[in-house]
Amino acid sequence: MTTTEHNIADDPGTPRRDRLRRALFRFSQSRLSLLGAAIVAVVIFFTVFGTVLAPYPDQVAGSVDTASRFLAPSAAHPFGTNELGQDVLSLVMAGTTVSVLAGFGVVLIGSAIGTLVGAVAGFSRGWVDEVLMRLTDLTLTIPGLILAMAIAAALGSGFGNMVIAIALSWWPGYARLVRGEVLAAREEVYVTAARALGATPKRILFRHILPNVVSPIIVKMSLDMGFAILTVAGLGFIGIGVRPPTPEWGTLLSISRSYMPDYWWTAMAPGMAMFLAVFGFNLLGDGLRDILDPKARR
Amino acid sequence: MLRFILRRLLLLIPVIVGLTIIMFGIARLLPGDPVALAAGPNATQAEIAALAVEYGLDQPIWVQYANYVSGLARGDLGTSLLTRRPVAADIAAYLPATLELVFAAMFIAVAVGIPLGLVTAVWRNRWPDYLAQVGAIGAISMPRFFLGLLLQLCFAMWLMWLPLGGRLPIVVIPPRFVTGFLTIDSLIAGNWNAFFMSLRHLALPAIAMSLSPLATIMRMMRSSTIEVMQQDYVMTARALGLPSRKIITKYVARNAVSATLTVIGLYFGWLLGGTVLVETVFDWPGLGLYATKAIVSQDMMPVIGVALVIGLLFVFANLVIDLLYGVINPKVRYS
Amino acid sequence: MTASDQFNISRRSLLALAGVGLATTVFPRRLLAQSGGVLIIAAGQDIPNFDPHTATGYSASFFMRNVYDPLVRISGNPPVPTPGIAESWTVSPDGTEYTFVLNKAAKFHSGNAVTADDVVYSFGRALKLAKGNSWMIRDIVTAEGVTAVDAGTVKFKLAAPFAPFLQVLPWIFVVEKAVVEANLGSDAGETYLMTNTAGSGPFAVARSEVGTLYQLARAPEAWQAGGGNLEGVIWQIVRETATQRLMIQRGEAHIATDLTSEDMDALKDAPGVVSIIEPEYRTFSIKMNTQKGPCADINLRKAISYATNYQAILDAAGYADLMNGPLPKGILGFDANLVAYGTDMAKAKEFMAKSEKPEGGFKLRMFHVSGLEQQRRWALIMLDSLKQLNIELEIVPMNWPDMVAACKSPETFPDLFPVYQTANYGDPDNIAYAAYHSSRNGAWQNAVYKNPEVDALIEAGRKEIDQAKRVAIYGEFQKKVVEDAPDVFGVLERRKLAMRDAVKDYHFTPVASNAIEAWGLSLG
Repeated sequence: MTTTEHNIADDPGTPRRDRLRRALFRFSQSRLSLLGAAIVAVVIFFTVFGTVLAPYPDQVAGSVDTASRFLAPSAAHPFGTNELGQDVLSLVMAGTTVSVLAGFGVVLIGSAIGTLVGAVAGFSRGWVDEVLMRLTDLTLTIPGLILAMAIAAALGSGFGNMVIAIALSWWPGYARLVRGEVLAAREEVYVTAARALGATPKRILFRHILPNVVSPIIVKMSLDMGFAILTVAGLGFIGIGVRPPTPEWGTLLSISRSYMPDYWWTAMAPGMAMFLAVFGFNLLGDGLRDILDPKARR
Repeated sequence: MLRFILRRLLLLIPVIVGLTIIMFGIARLLPGDPVALAAGPNATQAEIAALAVEYGLDQPIWVQYANYVSGLARGDLGTSLLTRRPVAADIAAYLPATLELVFAAMFIAVAVGIPLGLVTAVWRNRWPDYLAQVGAIGAISMPRFFLGLLLQLCFAMWLMWLPLGGRLPIVVIPPRFVTGFLTIDSLIAGNWNAFFMSLRHLALPAIAMSLSPLATIMRMMRSSTIEVMQQDYVMTARALGLPSRKIITKYVARNAVSATLTVIGLYFGWLLGGTVLVETVFDWPGLGLYATKAIVSQDMMPVIGVALVIGLLFVFANLVIDLLYGVINPKVRYS
Repeated sequence: MTASDQFNISRRSLLALAGVGLATTVFPRRLLAQSGGVLIIAAGQDIPNFDPHTATGYSASFFMRNVYDPLVRISGNPPVPTPGIAESWTVSPDGTEYTFVLNKAAKFHSGNAVTADDVVYSFGRALKLAKGNSWMIRDIVTAEGVTAVDAGTVKFKLAAPFAPFLQVLPWIFVVEKAVVEANLGSDAGETYLMTNTAGSGPFAVARSEVGTLYQLARAPEAWQAGGGNLEGVIWQIVRETATQRLMIQRGEAHIATDLTSEDMDALKDAPGVVSIIEPEYRTFSIKMNTQKGPCADINLRKAISYATNYQAILDAAGYADLMNGPLPKGILGFDANLVAYGTDMAKAKEFMAKSEKPEGGFKLRMFHVSGLEQQRRWALIMLDSLKQLNIELEIVPMNWPDMVAACKSPETFPDLFPVYQTANYGDPDNIAYAAYHSSRNGAWQNAVYKNPEVDALIEAGRKEIDQAKRVAIYGEFQKKVVEDAPDVFGVLERRKLAMRDAVKDYHFTPVASNAIEAWGLSLG
């Protein structure tokens, strides 16, 4: 890891392994972070195996059973069945994959765009910086959800389009963060030294500056993960999202709305799954911020 | 200070230009044919073409844009293809509902968040504090629309304590339009029944909206209060046996105001744009519902109008907040 | 302690207020009692604008039917033309000349009498604007063909004989010429009529809150015969059907217009609620791309028609009837003996064997309107059904404008395309012409299907005025279309309305029954 040189410079007396051990210790001291990590582990487990483990895998792929519509929760269907006689538990389990991957996709693309914009702006300064940051501010002024809805409606339904639509409204936060970090890092001794040694701006940017802004980006990504999942679900709830038969939590919840209060179980499982997943990621994100980004700690 | 305000207001112009260009670009991306839709299922090609001419949609995009901007100068936000109503009039009708909801949510967040923050700071690292910390993360993690649905299910469908949705029961004649906020307008009109009714309708959607900012305010209040309590001068004052309560109260009060301002700044835009989901659940006739309807019909003028209005409100709100920061903390300079 | 006294006072008054509030929620019927003689309709659609010659949608139809008058109205089941502004009419033997005698009592809200001049003006305006419902009389009525014989008589000289002429007249409304002319502006009065009215209907606008509600009040000049005791009508916009249902259940609304089958089930035993579940001319079918792609092969179309799980389609639809062909049950010329496609895997495999790819193994695409729950359900059922033929189905939810755009050519049209077709007028010509005549190719009701023999039958059917001959023509038409299998013929969804038992004198008419005509109703 290239970060070592800088960190050692920062904190000369501490060997790396020791710091890691301390961080882990701090993390394990925080019960909430551990709880978050546990929930996230479960969520990731279902992300990988949800579709396979679903009790009715056919129905995840779109099969229907109209003879057993709206069955109340029972041993065979712990969360009941829906308007097409599909097992709600199976749909929600398989939905984990969709929601988590979509959330991850949003955060990944959003942070990639944002990092690029922020790094270029922070490094070049001058009019490039001015233009890029004005664009960033502008995008921040447009209400994110409405922007994402408009883009998603323009691109059409589907998993990829939905992720892109949200990511396009997601990057400004990263751009600002990275620009700030880059501006600060530029003034660091080692960068000045590298420049003095004749390193090209590109090399300085990619070899010396970007690696050092990685940890605040990771913290922000982990904090954003939950909100990205929420936004994906929100888009699905409004009815702009994935294509059937893909099960997605927000879409499932939105469909079940019409069956309240009589068939309330169709709403509970997707809603609770959404809440738990986001809760887990937020707890974990908080914990990670405390150990990776001590500046933000109080 | 006047120069500062003027300069910030001047900055609104590039914001307007930028926003409209971005939204026009998105409108251009749309593959559908909104004109054919607006002309109706039985329109002939000639009729569709005539409608396109009527709305200037046959012109090149830059001409359309120029027309739009020159309309903007006259306060004209274009016309909805679908309803043929002027967008500006529609927004004027829907915006107060959204603002009322946002302000009510903010009010709840501040009124509950600040005392909770203080209490948890005092009880720091004891179980009520832990509970509140978990609760805060839970509140941020709760999807607003799911919470809205649960509240609706509990209080409106099962217990039947509160109404399902809307702003007023239809048998109540809304008060004369002054602010567009039904609660305030009915107070002005002295109509207690309408006031009470509008509060009841406002309760559930406002609670559903308020959780996130509430949790944020609480956390900010907690940490800033802890900071104050650990300050040297407070410790010293205490050690000297001086009534530290006075000092704490003074600092806590200022912290409360600044936390509130920060959160309002952070959340105002978020809430304005984020009402979409809660408005959908509670059938609240606000900008979000209006925009959603327009987006799925690819009726772009209303969408551009809503984005523009919310964007401007957001910028404007931040200007006001910056000014208020200056009032509470004279060290802040406007430059 | 003055402060606490004050608090006590305010608390007491608050409690009193709470009492009022509680009373209206806990005893919802009091809410309705407060509404007096005002009928409350909970409906999902906002009224786009008030102009009778441009607005469309069932909410607009509701508005026009109550605020404006047409020459002729429609009522009964099966529906028959009844007098509107015209008290009587005569038809020439060749069916090209109609003469209407206007009711002398007919008055606009301004107090002026409705004259032949106003009628001529209104038809001229509708045709000139060419928006809203004007398509119904396009190519049949021309501006020159409508003349005022005298102040109380209007004559129509049709451009071509058109059997269902009286069936379309209820959808062309009459405006007061003087009012529109006085507010013409630069757009034939469109701006003015968008928010103002110039009608003669039994009700006038009393209050309008965009996106929330529209209240109509009985017009003081109401001249129409047979009115009930209503003082007014409220069209309240309630977007979620579950909410509409709860409002009916609790007595917060008198009529709900957009209920689902699940809602009707929930209301089955609710006290004080009357359910109206009636067949209406509203067909649902899945159009196939008969021009391009695998479905251009008639054998594949038949294989799909036989493989479809009709029982599941019916289950998912709830209150509905399976169709046996292109025309809805009960309409003129409907052939009950037509042998329809049913679920029959043996036959499906037989036709599949004759098709170009008997083994399947390919993928078809189906679009549906995103947010239309029934269409989503049916798309999933098709996916399930096609699996048995080893055909994959890709389901693409789309916004309605994109759906419409996809209909423009056979190249952009998907393999399967679900369509709801509502009869705007109670005549087979409406559905036959819009959904199967090749002149409609490129429009969403019939994007690609083209058969010259079918075209000829449709044209003959609309020109013929002899009932028996029309029945024969439409019989032949149904056979031909079923033989071609351009659609998977789905279901006729029943109209589902719920109303409180306080609503009296309601009679169902299977044409646009969600656009409630309030004049004859009473509250008791």
